[in-house]
Amino acid sequence: MIRTPGAFIRSGLLVVLAVILQISGFDQLHLLGGAIDLIPLVVAGMAFYAGSTAGAVAGFCTGLLLDLAVGQNLGASSLVLTAVGYGVGRFSDQRDISHGLLPIPVAAAATVGYLSAFAVVSFMLETAPQVSALILRDIVIVTLLNVAIALPFFGLVRRVLRPVLAAELLDRRRRRREVQPAGPIGLRGLEVKR
Amino acid sequence: MYDKQVVRRRRAALGVLVGLSIVLLTASFGNGGGVLHGFQSAAQTILSPIEQGASRAFKPFRDLANWVGDTVSAKGKVDGMKKDLAATRQQLAKSQAAVRENQQLQGLMNLHRRADFPQGTGAIAARVIARSPTVWYSTIQIDVGRGDGVRVDDPVVTGDGLVGKVTDETGGTATVTLITDSSSSVSAEIVPEGSNGVVQPAVGDPNDMQLNFVQKGRDITVGQTLITSGFASGRLESLFPRGIPIGRVRKVDANELELYQRVHIQPFADFRRMDVVQVLRHRGRTPVPNPGTAAPGSGGP
Repeated sequence: MIRTPGAFIRSGLLVVLAVILQISGFDQLHLLGGAIDLIPLVVAGMAFYAGSTAGAVAGFCTGLLLDLAVGQNLGASSLVLTAVGYGVGRFSDQRDISHGLLPIPVAAAATVGYLSAFAVVSFMLETAPQVSALILRDIVIVTLLNVAIALPFFGLVRRVLRPVLAAELLDRRRRRREVQPAGPIGLRGLEVKR
Repeated sequence: MYDKQVVRRRRAALGVLVGLSIVLLTASFGNGGGVLHGFQSAAQTILSPIEQGASRAFKPFRDLANWVGDTVSAKGKVDGMKKDLAATRQQLAKSQAAVRENQQLQGLMNLHRRADFPQGTGAIAARVIARSPTVWYSTIQIDVGRGDGVRVDDPVVTGDGLVGKVTDETGGTATVTLITDSSSSVSAEIVPEGSNGVVQPAVGDPNDMQLNFVQKGRDITVGQTLITSGFASGRLESLFPRGIPIGRVRKVDANELELYQRVHIQPFADFRRMDVVQVLRHRGRTPVPNPGTAAPGSGGP
């Protein structure tokens, strides 16, 4: 990502919008016994298109804003979302992400990772006497809902970030696997080594 | 792919962010009412108007989604409530059956207290355990039998009045042929007028019985009561003792061409809803022990 004021404004807008929409709207919008969680989606989306460092920063800021807005322990969400953003960013750094359906598994992994890790951190921090197994069901439902909106949401994130993404990153995302030369009998893998 | 500087910068950024998170976490735990709390409160104050606006703007969508969710949830609740309703209906049916049974038992008690009820008879209470499904053969099965002292031709009554007689018996059960059966005939008397006749059924309509062979010229009016006449002529004796109420005069057919007049009777007993009956027997009759049955009267309520 090109470090320009525009990039920070766009990224910041995305994060703020996601957090406010989440705590004011989507959190109260129950579908199938769960609610869509935009937080891991926005972090994963930004990391997916902007890389690991930007993803980690976005995760930290999103977590911090979320903790500030809802009044929970500062740092818990930041810690988890930083890891999520970094992880998704590293995945996009190392892999070809040109496949159109890749946001779906990325969103699923990010959501599961975020919810699971946050549950673990909260469990360690809180003094809850017992934890219901229903949180597992909740994780599954939220993941399914997030997967359902992953493609349009990642498309939106990409549209917002596109002007500020570095050219090399855009090139990297456009890059396709090079066509391998065929062998002497027209089959790949039978090339004559020189 | 990346030079070492980029890698180092990336790792450094990650380390700084994770470290900051842990510091924040530790600080927010160790300093509940300190600077961080004030910072958090300030952030919430700033964000709250935005959140309120967003919440209002989002309300139609939220309502729509919640409506969909509620509809889906309501469908699930409907299924659960249907089950509850079915269970409640069963309970209601049981309660109503118990109330009806109670009324019938109360009626049986009152029947015996009537002054005109045949004296010298004992009663065996019985529960109806089966009914004939056809209108042509009006019979019921009761849960008392020979072992309880029940004999063929014993009259059977409910709290309302006569319903039939025992036509078959086993050790523990008996078959009662109702007076609505096509083969049934009961000698009866209209009180207080005193006209005698024979009560016969109109097959298919248990609420319309006929008192036949009533002499013309008798002043029979609608509403008069019909009881068993219990005649005894030499060795001939009616199966039904005198005084068991049968029904009420509903209509009188005065056909000029016939020798007798026909009286339509509305029976007192509700033949469609009998749960408990009593078998009348002469006092002093001892039950015949039957190894296959329980103690006398144990089948009744």
